[in-house]
Amino acid sequence: MSAPTADGTGLFIQGQRESGQDVRTGNVTAALAVANIVKTSLGPVGLDKMLVDDIGDVLITNDGATILAQLEVEHPAARVLVDLAQLQDSEVGDGTTSVVIVASELLRRSNELVKSGIHPTTIISGLRTALKQAVKFLKKNMVMKVSELNDDHLLMAAKTSMSSKIIGKEGEFFAQMAVDAVKSVGMKATMADAAGLENMIHSAASTSQDAKEGEKKVKMKYPLSAIHILKAHGKSALESHFIKGGFAINAMRAAQGMPTAVEGSVEEPIKIAFLDMNLQRHRMAMGVQVVVKDPAEIENIKKREMDITKERITKIIENGAKVVLTTKGVDDLCMKYFVEAGIICARRCNKDDLKRLAKATGGKLVVTMADMDGNETFDPDCLGKCTAVREERIGDGEMLYVHGCQGSGASTIVLRGANEYMLDEMDRALHDSLCVIKRMLESSTLVCGGGAVEAALSVHLEEYATTLHTREQLAIQEFADALLIIPKTLAVNAAKDSSELVAKLRASHAKSQKADATEEEKALKNIGLDLVEGAIRDNLAAGVVEPAISKIKSLRFATEAAITILRIDDRITLAKGQQQ
Amino acid sequence: MATRSGETFHEKTKGKDVRTSNIIAAKAVANAVRTSLGPRGMDKLMELSNGEVLISNDGATILSKMNVLHPAAKMLVELSQSQDIEAGDGTTTVVVVAGALLEACASLLSKGIHPMAIASSFVKAAEKATQILESVAKPVDLKDRSQLIAAVNTCLSSKVVSQNSDLISPIAVDSVLGVIDNPDTAINVDLRDIRMVEQVGGTIDDTELVNGLVFKKGSTKSAGGPSQISNAKIAMIQFCLSAPKTDMDNNIVVSDYAAMDRILRDERKYLLGICKKIKKSGANVLLIQKSILRDAYNELSLHFLAKMGILVVTDVERSDVEFICRTLGCQPVAHVDSLSKDKLGEAEHVGDVVMPGSGHKVVKFTGVKNPGKTMTVLLRGSNNLVLAEANRSIHDAQCVVRSLVKKRFLIAGGGAPEVEVSLRLKEYALGLTGMDSYCIKAFAEALETIPYTLAENAGMRPIDCVTELRKQHVEGNTGAGINVKKNVVSDMYDLNVLQPLLVSTSAINLATETVCMILKVDDLVVVQ
Repeated sequence: MSAPTADGTGLFIQGQRESGQDVRTGNVTAALAVANIVKTSLGPVGLDKMLVDDIGDVLITNDGATILAQLEVEHPAARVLVDLAQLQDSEVGDGTTSVVIVASELLRRSNELVKSGIHPTTIISGLRTALKQAVKFLKKNMVMKVSELNDDHLLMAAKTSMSSKIIGKEGEFFAQMAVDAVKSVGMKATMADAAGLENMIHSAASTSQDAKEGEKKVKMKYPLSAIHILKAHGKSALESHFIKGGFAINAMRAAQGMPTAVEGSVEEPIKIAFLDMNLQRHRMAMGVQVVVKDPAEIENIKKREMDITKERITKIIENGAKVVLTTKGVDDLCMKYFVEAGIICARRCNKDDLKRLAKATGGKLVVTMADMDGNETFDPDCLGKCTAVREERIGDGEMLYVHGCQGSGASTIVLRGANEYMLDEMDRALHDSLCVIKRMLESSTLVCGGGAVEAALSVHLEEYATTLHTREQLAIQEFADALLIIPKTLAVNAAKDSSELVAKLRASHAKSQKADATEEEKALKNIGLDLVEGAIRDNLAAGVVEPAISKIKSLRFATEAAITILRIDDRITLAKGQQQ
Repeated sequence: MATRSGETFHEKTKGKDVRTSNIIAAKAVANAVRTSLGPRGMDKLMELSNGEVLISNDGATILSKMNVLHPAAKMLVELSQSQDIEAGDGTTTVVVVAGALLEACASLLSKGIHPMAIASSFVKAAEKATQILESVAKPVDLKDRSQLIAAVNTCLSSKVVSQNSDLISPIAVDSVLGVIDNPDTAINVDLRDIRMVEQVGGTIDDTELVNGLVFKKGSTKSAGGPSQISNAKIAMIQFCLSAPKTDMDNNIVVSDYAAMDRILRDERKYLLGICKKIKKSGANVLLIQKSILRDAYNELSLHFLAKMGILVVTDVERSDVEFICRTLGCQPVAHVDSLSKDKLGEAEHVGDVVMPGSGHKVVKFTGVKNPGKTMTVLLRGSNNLVLAEANRSIHDAQCVVRSLVKKRFLIAGGGAPEVEVSLRLKEYALGLTGMDSYCIKAFAEALETIPYTLAENAGMRPIDCVTELRKQHVEGNTGAGINVKKNVVSDMYDLNVLQPLLVSTSAINLATETVCMILKVDDLVVVQ
């Protein structure tokens, strides 16, 4: 227990208190430290981090949110940034690194302003004005509405998001796979989603006219959870494959005696039963005691215990199920019945997988066989239908492939890779791309990547700042400069001359924003960085695009996080464990 | 040296030391929250002893978490809490006022004035101040929504959510007005009638006022079952949908294999019976109260309910039952036999809604027939810290409306009332003689701390500002206050910066009482 401290003001508390500039500087330093960790992983030529935890588990990743989640950040202000990355991950899915970098740069610059005697609240209101203006400009000038979104746009966006990841080299291949996967799970939005989607369209829509049209269309949703990503180690990344209308589950036949494949056809589909119950010798519930007086009864009871389950199995088999998948156990005794009937049975399947598979094949997960009369029957409607089920050998393990699902909304990507770490990283990268494609399909607007948006906003905000007469001007200018950190970091990571590239970038954007810009000059707004060549180029033509909504959201999140930290002028740390 | 009794006060040194130490400790508390006063106030970041992090601007919240040790300092902490209960807003103000009054006491004491004399004069001054405030206050009509929103905007201006006040203020006003029966006769509001549901994800802009009810989680669908029901008939049940359990010491004894079948079949029959009764009552939405003793539901019962097309919401907290029943107009049912049609609530639509961003689901009840006087606010925010702070801010805003229901007067904000009271008290003191005159003058000057601090926090020149305010008030401009947006002195009524009278009067009265109490202490005995 620490002694109560007085910090010169006579305030006795059990803990420490810091206030004023010290706190602000401390917070900003902590935030910068966090940002510096992820800084070098930004962009197509960013590098990966290897994280080793206390039990020696290794994680290699390039994904900002994943890196930060693994760090045990103690400083509360730094934790705000970690949360920020997590939020970006859950809301947008991509751009976790850049959001952290922008937020920390905003903080650094704001802190300099405070040091030069500008009140934090003035800076905060300046940042807010800048954000509003930036979003307005972005929506008005930078966003490209893709009325009929075609695969090219999606492929471009997917490739852009992958470019910084481990699968960037095979971008073409994986982008196609990701696009196919997301499109295959598209379904009409249910009532529950309608309310949610409406909000999204509102915030994403650029011009009100187009938005109205967009709303009238049937709303589609793309639940990414329906895309099943399986990781099997072995072979090369390029041998990963996508099973359209198919589903693979990580389970194998329960007994060797079962067939390895059952084949059917569209007309005569294979029926699958999905169970969420035990197929084991029945045990009575707690509080039920078996007491027998007559030794002969023991046999009867044992037999009955087996028969209860046997009856259930018979009912399932009678309904024509050729494949039985359960989330719980199946004991050897019961397996016998399946083997005899030539049925594939797999136990201990993942429940979520089964739910998805049930949806995909038009079946239902059965929790209990009770019917409305209080008896036990198996409802044939609960059976899913597919054309074939095969057990295939992948890498070291076996997997059950379910082909030709008759329902909709589920598909599987099987990832292959040289080692576990690579597979994990591929999974994360693919997840980011899937999110990007989903956002694009849902909002159908895009902006150019490669620092184009940041440079354009920076030029515009600088111009805008000069139209203001108040002290907020300074903060807006800093906001404008802070945005340049993205192209700068991109260039630095690519070992290019960042000063020169950023200057060029700004020059072309300034030209495009002139009041009397010609059409040709206006097209310069798409100019972004080419990090391989170390030059600038039209990134729309080069196919470096991102969904507009993720840019807008990340700007908002970054600013909000910076403001949260900036508003703090006092830090009180209470001593631990002194509760009475 | 002969002392003239009554004129000056001499006492044992001990009493003096205790008093000084108390005053210093209490003043330190006031100083700690001073920087968070007003729209340009800053936030505090606190790391609690359990490792939790809190960022807040709310005086009462900061102080309650700060764990101060000095007993006199604790009194100030409690002061802010009582202001929170009484008015809900002005929790920082009240502490800053108390600090300023204590400062005034210190100098009065050093002049040798008896503490009791100071205390009695302060009480008089506070009474007078209340009268003055009442005389400058303007009556407000609860039907005048725009004025209420203006008052709420003033309160929110110092919070993190100030940027969203366009959205939050109407929500706060409408939620409070929605729960009072008759705006003309209501004298108090029970804020517990307003339910705040926090959902991480999205931004504060997505916060909405729900006319109906929202649960924190989605419906239970582990056995399939519907997630959308139109023309819902809602039953709130408190009994369990699972097989009855025997007591700990008792056992069911099976001695015959046929009995095993019977047990299994009876369990099914038992649950089916209950479910059928529920269905028969006409209910198609079922809310199940959480149960500790037994499972409130099991897979089997969910399966039956799903087959009957009944939407199930499980794990309803016991404490929420009353609120839910009032909102939906249903009655809690403790046994299946007492479930009947008249105990059901009705709603046009009940269904899961996916929260944009986070993807979480919540159950929403809309179009409730015969709704009770309750409201639900669905709060959104990008992280838990923001969400918690937004929740506190909306609570403050609702308290402002509540204060207006209690006392239907508005006064100007921005330090205007404090300057006005200070000036009038000084005039009043001129008409008095003796200790009263002296102490009341000191009281009046202490009140100027509020505009002084506001100006200081806004980065203005406090002395210029306060003197300018005095001048304007002497000239009869009772609404003159500090315009922190433009950093000038301007008329608060024009800017619509308004606050409830109750906040100011209760702040002055509570602060005075606490100061008097601290003054009266002359000994500190530590009991082991």
